[in-house]
Amino acid sequence: MFSINARTAMSTRLTRFSVSLRTREALAAYAFLAPFMIFFSIFFLRAVVKAVEFSFYDWRLLRPSKPYIGLDNYRELLDDEIWWLALENTIKFAAMTVVGTTAVALAAAVAVIQPIRGRGFFRVLLYMPSLLSVGAVGLVWVWLLSTQFGVINYGLSFFDIRPINWLGDPDLVLPALSLTTIWWTFGFPMLIFIAGLQGIPHHLYEAAKIDGANGLQIFYRITIPLLRPTILFVTVTGFISHFQVYGQPYIMTGGGGPGRASYTVVIYLYQMAWRAFRMGYGAAVAVAIAVIMAVITAAQFVIIGRRVEY
Amino acid sequence: MSKRSYLLASVMIAMIVVMALMMSMTGTTVAQDDPTATPIVAEIGGGGGTHISFWNGLTGSDGVTLNEMLAVFAEENPDVSVTVEMIIWDTLYQKLQTAFIANEPPDVFLLHASEIPMFGSFGVLRDLGDQYVSGGGWLPDDDIAATTMSGMILDGTIYGIPLDNHGRGLWINIDMFEAAGLSTDPADAPTDYDGWVELFQKLTLDANGNNALSPDFDPENVVQWGYAVGEWPNVNFIAALYQEGGSFLSEDGKTVTVNSEAGIAALQKTVDLVYKYHVSPPEAGFDTWQGFGAGTLAVLPTGTWYRNQSLLQTDINSMAWPNWVFGQQPATWFGAHTFMIPAGLGGEKLDAVLSMIQWVSEHQVDWAASGQVPARLSAQAALDPENYPSNILLGQTFGEYGVQDPRSPAVQEMLTNLAAELSAALNNIKSPEEALNDAAKIMQDALDRG
Repeated sequence: MFSINARTAMSTRLTRFSVSLRTREALAAYAFLAPFMIFFSIFFLRAVVKAVEFSFYDWRLLRPSKPYIGLDNYRELLDDEIWWLALENTIKFAAMTVVGTTAVALAAAVAVIQPIRGRGFFRVLLYMPSLLSVGAVGLVWVWLLSTQFGVINYGLSFFDIRPINWLGDPDLVLPALSLTTIWWTFGFPMLIFIAGLQGIPHHLYEAAKIDGANGLQIFYRITIPLLRPTILFVTVTGFISHFQVYGQPYIMTGGGGPGRASYTVVIYLYQMAWRAFRMGYGAAVAVAIAVIMAVITAAQFVIIGRRVEY
Repeated sequence: MSKRSYLLASVMIAMIVVMALMMSMTGTTVAQDDPTATPIVAEIGGGGGTHISFWNGLTGSDGVTLNEMLAVFAEENPDVSVTVEMIIWDTLYQKLQTAFIANEPPDVFLLHASEIPMFGSFGVLRDLGDQYVSGGGWLPDDDIAATTMSGMILDGTIYGIPLDNHGRGLWINIDMFEAAGLSTDPADAPTDYDGWVELFQKLTLDANGNNALSPDFDPENVVQWGYAVGEWPNVNFIAALYQEGGSFLSEDGKTVTVNSEAGIAALQKTVDLVYKYHVSPPEAGFDTWQGFGAGTLAVLPTGTWYRNQSLLQTDINSMAWPNWVFGQQPATWFGAHTFMIPAGLGGEKLDAVLSMIQWVSEHQVDWAASGQVPARLSAQAALDPENYPSNILLGQTFGEYGVQDPRSPAVQEMLTNLAAELSAALNNIKSPEEALNDAAKIMQDALDRG
């Protein structure tokens, strides 16, 4: 008797407080998101907010007074010749590297998607450089490009070409760093392109062949248009990654040399914050980098994304 | 594109990848001995008694030497144990600042004397004047050279106890000198710029065996360089600047003066070694230590720390020389590794730290095995000439005409920017005057900010 009454009461309460399926799904989604959001808020969002806050102060690590200076750090940045030089170098490097990585990754993906013997082996082999650390890549390529002992200059000597100072010539250093980075990082976009190529319906190719299209026509008229969402993803993520280049010039050109020919914005950020210990100014540099990256990313979406059909 | 073309392209890309990976695995073409492994963290002593933490930037063979000394200290002082952390210098500066903010600094740390203004101006260093005889302590003031002692003091307060003098000199390839008919006796070294240029010209050879004095010399095909300007240009420039009668800062320390006539003349002479006399490769793209080790460089401008490397290179017959004289007077750069203690340290830990510093200071003769010159004059005098010729030779030059980094809380920022501008001049991107004017402007801003 007691248990029947209790069940009835409980059923009444459940009915009263029952929630819709939609709400329950939303709650479940938030529950799954919560661990990430907590981690993100504590270790990322809070840091971003703090960095923006620091950028309004003359903030030195050990100095007791940290006066509020408003927009002075940003005004100084606008007049800072080294900042503009670093920005120019970074944009050149990122542009060269994004274009190069995208082209090499697409070519490699097209090559290893063919039904050839050892396809899996080649896919692994081409992806392997991506597994290396920037330290290993930097040291290996310093040796490859060396004027004293480098294999590349040694190979050129067979064609009567004098050793080229790849990392010491201000006109060649950014292309040399870009070449290194393309070799190192094209593996991941290659995988993305393989996935994109596999998603293109095969009957489109068959129809094109029946209509007499040649290989190049098929590539430019079918493959490229249908890969546009993939190209957008690869170029956007590649630009965000390569705009923050730091390790390669730090290791290969002594932090941006010769002179400041390979000096980048993140090296500048590091030197302001951790060599000059000007945390406030360093924070202003970081905010400026984030804004520039956001603007260029938006431009990529407008330029490449407007012709994307999902 | 046909399948065959794709296959060919993929094979070519794969071959490049394999070649590069093989390069990374097979290492270098220059024979080298394995470097001595240096632990990042060394636990010294039984771990009992008073335990102290000690941070330093001695990540090379000098760190091994110091740890060996501390092991003997711990044996003789079983009531003290030490955790030594060896951190590369750049990271050490950063880690120390954050450690001070977190109120968790090490109990003792080793920096350069030039960093005393930075940390001293923040009020985080302990006054160590009471450790000197003049303050009632154990360390005789007159056992430290005046040039070294000046680096320990900020605004009248002594913040450091010097471990050593480490600074610049030359290492020469004896066989190349003899082949060029040159004396290897340091007493016969040239005394002016023209003399040094001629020496470098005799030592610079093209692929046909012509030296740089020969009318048939081919500067585009050099196989042996007489000199290399790329070895730490900052400190070479500081030495050359003082040799020309210039200075880094004005007497009141408020104005950067590297772009004086003396500074421009000093840098021009160095640039001319590359682009006028063709006796040195440009600064970038030439590894000086590798070049000397491979027998393609006759005179290596380096420092006291090269002693142990030269001993490892048994196939290169080399010896130390004093620094060059390009100007009107001799000068050479040197620094001092210096013990410093956080201001807040007290009690048993302070006693243990002070006993360790005193013990190391009183055993500085053993520190010479690191290649550096002991800071105490009595230890310098006690060095064995057979085992420590470079320490003795270069140590004398530091005492006689050594110059140090500028003293400013902004020293790191100033030197970082100077390096970039010197690199621009030494790679023919800017003229010496333009580079030094740009450097002075940036450094003046840093100096003004403090």
